[in-house]
Amino acid sequence: MTDVAVSLRAVSKRFTLRHEGQSTLRDFVLRGFRNPRTREAFWAVRDVDLEIPRGVPYGIIGANGSGKSTLLKLIAGILRPTTGTVRTRGRVAALLELGAGFHPDLSGRENIHLNGSLLGMDRRSIARQLESIVAFAELERFVDMPLRHFSSGMTVRLGFAIAIHAQPDILIADEVLSVGDESFQRRCIDWVHQYVADGHSLILVSHSLSLIEAVCRQAIWMRGGRVAASGDAAAVIDRYHRSSLPQGEGGDSAGPRRWGTGEAVITSVRPIDDEGETIEHAVTGESLRIRIGYLASRRVESPQFGLALHASDGTHLAGPNSDLCNAPIAEIDGVGSVDVVFPRLPLLAGLYRLTVAIYDRHATVAYDHHDRAYELRVENGAIREIYGSVWLGAMWEHRPARRRVQSHPMRTAPSSGS
Amino acid sequence: MSLLLDALDTQLRARAPLIAPVSDLWRSRELLRSFVARDLKARYRNSTLGFLWSFGNPLLLTVVFTIVFTTLLPQNVPNYHVFVLIGLVTWNWFAATVSGGVHSVTGASHLIRKVAFTRETLPVSLVLSSGVHMVLAFIPVLLIAVGSGVRPSGLLLLFPLVVAIQAVFLSGVALLLACANVYFRDIESIVDVALLACFFLTPVFYAVESLTTENTRLMYILNPMASFISTYRLLIYHDAPPAPEFILRMAVQSLLMFAIGLAVFRWRSGDLAEVV
Repeated sequence: MTDVAVSLRAVSKRFTLRHEGQSTLRDFVLRGFRNPRTREAFWAVRDVDLEIPRGVPYGIIGANGSGKSTLLKLIAGILRPTTGTVRTRGRVAALLELGAGFHPDLSGRENIHLNGSLLGMDRRSIARQLESIVAFAELERFVDMPLRHFSSGMTVRLGFAIAIHAQPDILIADEVLSVGDESFQRRCIDWVHQYVADGHSLILVSHSLSLIEAVCRQAIWMRGGRVAASGDAAAVIDRYHRSSLPQGEGGDSAGPRRWGTGEAVITSVRPIDDEGETIEHAVTGESLRIRIGYLASRRVESPQFGLALHASDGTHLAGPNSDLCNAPIAEIDGVGSVDVVFPRLPLLAGLYRLTVAIYDRHATVAYDHHDRAYELRVENGAIREIYGSVWLGAMWEHRPARRRVQSHPMRTAPSSGS
Repeated sequence: MSLLLDALDTQLRARAPLIAPVSDLWRSRELLRSFVARDLKARYRNSTLGFLWSFGNPLLLTVVFTIVFTTLLPQNVPNYHVFVLIGLVTWNWFAATVSGGVHSVTGASHLIRKVAFTRETLPVSLVLSSGVHMVLAFIPVLLIAVGSGVRPSGLLLLFPLVVAIQAVFLSGVALLLACANVYFRDIESIVDVALLACFFLTPVFYAVESLTTENTRLMYILNPMASFISTYRLLIYHDAPPAPEFILRMAVQSLLMFAIGLAVFRWRSGDLAEVV
């Protein structure tokens, strides 16, 4: 029998959704121990049995809201299972976010100490590895600067470098292997291969199936909190692929899929003009406003509205959401609408599919998710570009030599001088 | 050896409910150190006057209280400014613990949702870093005391012991408040008023001895802060040794508070990642 790094036995996790927001002492005093507030149980993970052998890179895949992240947090020990047992052997480091706890006023060096000790490193091993961490992150010249002057790329590189130097026996990573520029990613992947070759365990959650396929040997596919398939990574990914095609799901016939708990539902999605009239198509480089109508049967605090743009071949092009766009929505109740505005639509002519969704404040529970359910047709306007699918607003500058070479036999470019 | 310790640890964890959190805290001492270092560095870096802030506030209040209680309502306490300064500096540690402790978990919700670590370190590190402020603030207090003719003696060697006992007590308070505020968010809004009330119910600007014997007893039993302030005053201002049983009772009270805080915190700490 192989050595088991992580074992889950009949693990379930129930969340209680509170519809009236935060509890207060006042409520408690007024209402006493009986709790008449509406509560709804929601099983994020249900009856999961899982054994991850030591030294086998393991992937977790599934749609948003399928319980992947909850599963990861259960393994990491951040959440406790409602029922069942989670056992891990060895030191676990969870990278759900790089550089957790970084303080902007402290220098890179001081933040290495802070973040390192959060990951369970002791002072001596941090001091011993400090140079190596800094070198991996390529921050030699900046390590004594306050973190607030770091670019976001530098910050995630530092976070990643610290995490891998914590030398955990089990590394749990949620979408963090795709940080930094290409050469840094290359080194991350190289490091992961070496780490796995040394007999450590890696558990990886990613939306990038190609990454999972490249790194992981085994995988599990989560759907609706349950294990839909597990085993050989390529086989699991293949099954997942086939099921996410419109016909594969087998449930409510073919066509777009929709799911969610239904506290708030999307009632309409339409591109509109300045007068609020529905428009037939959008125009590259011009402003586009999409109005999302909703109906909230209860008051929902801090919902996140999301929109995803897919090319006609299914490629996910972008996914702006109200939280990440720094446009938090305090609450919704009853009927209303939310507009998402693209000041200069960067899509070239073509047919695109839109996913529109309303999630809870943590973007984990879908109230209503319409997967690739809407079409958006974009047409050429003043912009004449036709190649590819995005318009980057590129500019061309010709910088001719100052002195014209007199003896040159040919004049090629029309000269702007004289 | 470490195997033996691990086995012992497992045994004890199963038997005595408070062993586990204490041992977790001990194992997280590096993290505690880092948190304290972060708090101190961030505070003293942001303002070159950082230290003056720790001390300026009690100094200002001392001036006010000295004017009130030596000229307006004479109290007949010699060197009243030294007397009240000791009370205020000690009180400030408590006030910082209460007002900061309330936010120590809710303010770190980001960390709690993303990282598995011993959550008790959040309120405890706050107590320790504000404890460093208090100890630093005692340096000018001593200088002022000496300058005013008060002559502290070798009894000052007991000072660290009292600080340690107070840290234990305040950790209990911070753990309890940090946890309570997660479940009842309005606690943070009543804390200021509660602190003000406690300020008057604590012998900060008056002497416990000025109360009746019965009330003095009651004060010491119900208000551990009274004991700490009295002890610091004994050591610095009165230069008299505190009774061993007084210190012992203070220690027992503090351990009890710590045990309650830790037990409540541990009881709920499994849910924190979902609730904050």
